[in-house]
Amino acid sequence: MIEWKGVSFTYPGQESDGLQQVNLSISEGECVLFCGRSGCGKTTMLRLVNGLIPSFFPGEGDGAAYLEGQDCSEIPMYRLAERVGSVFQNPRTQFFNVDTDSEIAFGMENQALPPTELARRVEQTARELNLEALRGRSIFALSGGEKQKIAFASVYAMNPDIYLLDEPSSNLDMDSIRALKEYLKLIKAQGKTILIAEHRLYYLMELVDKIIYLERGRIKGIYTPKELAALSQGQRASMGLRAVNLQQLRPQKRAKSAQVPILALKNVRLCYQKKTVLENICLQAARGEIIAVVGHNGTGKTTFSRALCGLHKGCEGEFLWGGKPLNAKTRRKRSYLVMQDVGYQLFAESVEKECVFGIKNPNAALADRTLEDLGLSSFREKHPNTLSGGQKQRLAVAVSMVCGKDILVFDEPTSGLDHDSMTQVAALMERLAEQGGILFVVTHDYELVCRVCTRVVHFDEGEMPDDLPVTVENEGKIRELFHLQP
Amino acid sequence: MSGKIKAGLWFDPRTKLLLLLLTALGATMAPSLMYELGLVMLVALMALVCGEWRKSALGLPAYLLFYLLTLAVMQTDGSSLQTTLMAFLGLFHKVYPCGFLAGVMISTTKVSEFLSAMSRIHAPKKLVIPFAVMLRYMPAIREDWHFIKDAMQLRDVSPNLAGLLTHPVRTVECVYVPLMMAASKAADELSIASVTRGIENPRPRTCLVQICFRAADLLAVVCFAAYLAAGLFWKEAFL
Repeated sequence: MIEWKGVSFTYPGQESDGLQQVNLSISEGECVLFCGRSGCGKTTMLRLVNGLIPSFFPGEGDGAAYLEGQDCSEIPMYRLAERVGSVFQNPRTQFFNVDTDSEIAFGMENQALPPTELARRVEQTARELNLEALRGRSIFALSGGEKQKIAFASVYAMNPDIYLLDEPSSNLDMDSIRALKEYLKLIKAQGKTILIAEHRLYYLMELVDKIIYLERGRIKGIYTPKELAALSQGQRASMGLRAVNLQQLRPQKRAKSAQVPILALKNVRLCYQKKTVLENICLQAARGEIIAVVGHNGTGKTTFSRALCGLHKGCEGEFLWGGKPLNAKTRRKRSYLVMQDVGYQLFAESVEKECVFGIKNPNAALADRTLEDLGLSSFREKHPNTLSGGQKQRLAVAVSMVCGKDILVFDEPTSGLDHDSMTQVAALMERLAEQGGILFVVTHDYELVCRVCTRVVHFDEGEMPDDLPVTVENEGKIRELFHLQP
Repeated sequence: MSGKIKAGLWFDPRTKLLLLLLTALGATMAPSLMYELGLVMLVALMALVCGEWRKSALGLPAYLLFYLLTLAVMQTDGSSLQTTLMAFLGLFHKVYPCGFLAGVMISTTKVSEFLSAMSRIHAPKKLVIPFAVMLRYMPAIREDWHFIKDAMQLRDVSPNLAGLLTHPVRTVECVYVPLMMAASKAADELSIASVTRGIENPRPRTCLVQICFRAADLLAVVCFAAYLAAGLFWKEAFL
């Protein structure tokens, strides 16, 4: 049904993400996973099929992708759209409407289906995908997971033969990933052809028929899920692949005993728009701890991180540092938030200037050393925006180090990262902890938690029911928080 | 942004465009300051009818403030300060009614309605799609702004008027740089999401919400047109 014949492709001015002499064919009804390191070309494979290459991403290349014998690049985009549905990574920016019903109908409206048919299919889509509760809502009031569901529904309503999903789980929590998996099962049962490019593999292992492993633009292996699972963890890690089975992962870190806590939260209550989001938060933390903050979307993890950093208005209770109270302003001085989208926090015109931006008497030597330490010194003249995602993240961390911050909060630092980058982030966190920082990591990534965290706090229903140092006794409970068998 | 879609009278996007045109004409040919005030009041009324009471409650007093300021400046003698201020305020008065109405339009028009309306009047897709992306991106700026504000505070840059006055360049840079980056990325991704769902389809687009002219549309157009006509032919009343 879909065939790539002798495809080579390079993006202008870019070495990564290209393809070299790729040949592959996929038959109708197959569910195929493309995996490999960031920049291996898996997204490019999909873009050739949905027509984004060449119409949106021009580049140089050879060969073509064929859809039932027809060259995809010769089919107009709107014709392709009727047969190939695409779901992307970022739920925030694949919405074209600001209300859910219109969004579900969007693709069909473009196809000019008659209004009665539109209404019927919106109805049907909402029923089949269990979205009734989300109908008629403003998209700005939806969580990331809910947005991704609507994005999927919008494609589903068009009823394409082929679904392309480009890292669909990157911004999702575990529950939303499970919902996504159910959707995939549903379309698979309908006999649709499904192509997925993804870093998170575990939720797809029961679903896919074939796994295509790419490396530097070439297909390096084709596996069945069984064959991939049979490889050792080390082998998969060396291929840059993430865990295929979360059940097998065990926390590697242990909580250090007998530490002197320096940060304390006493009866903290957080409100948002006059409603209580979290209350009765009591917590003590010592230097060197890496604390995972987990919970469903919308349980107040973000509010908590913002409050910790002194950014949230509407805090009650006490924050203490070495016994002395911290107000919002002094918290801002001590803490730093590494955002999920680091782009928001980089302001200067070069990496070097970014490090000392806004500091009155910057310590140039410290800035230099930090950049050196984080492997950024060769980019010092470059504009922050030209860096890769991982490099931007490291730059944001460098800023926090130069500013001498003690409390660091990472918001979903590993969303959409391959194994290598995840390991790098983990190593960076460990280093920051060794240097005496207190780290909070808001995350849904069990693999990351296993690798670095020494403690897990869990928010649910407006409180903090669990505060679990990583120990042998607590392991079962921690696994339960991630919906794994204890 | 509330969770529910706002309740208010519904107008056809084509009507709204026509109203915008009438308002622009009215503002350009306004015979007096009083007339401008009337126009802004009319727009505020329109906002109220559309269910945008907050915009209405903010927009009108803000204008009144400038109105009084203008009156005060006019009272002063003819110094060069007055000339400069008057030039600025004059422009402000010309732009305000249109900006106000455009704001109301953007927040009350669904992208799908807009696309469908444009398709009805046979506007070229090449023109319409960028506008639709813009229409969609506007409310997202608010989300971006929250992130940027946080980021600024963590770097000891105050994201408020005081910060702007003490460190104008740095503050503007802090807002402008990340906002531009976010905007260009969002615009790209939005365009991708729309073309892969067939926005370029040349067939006349349909819409889940049927757009059609209703009595309310006629009434609104008549009101605005009458006001424009009054400004043109019955100037004495506004002096």
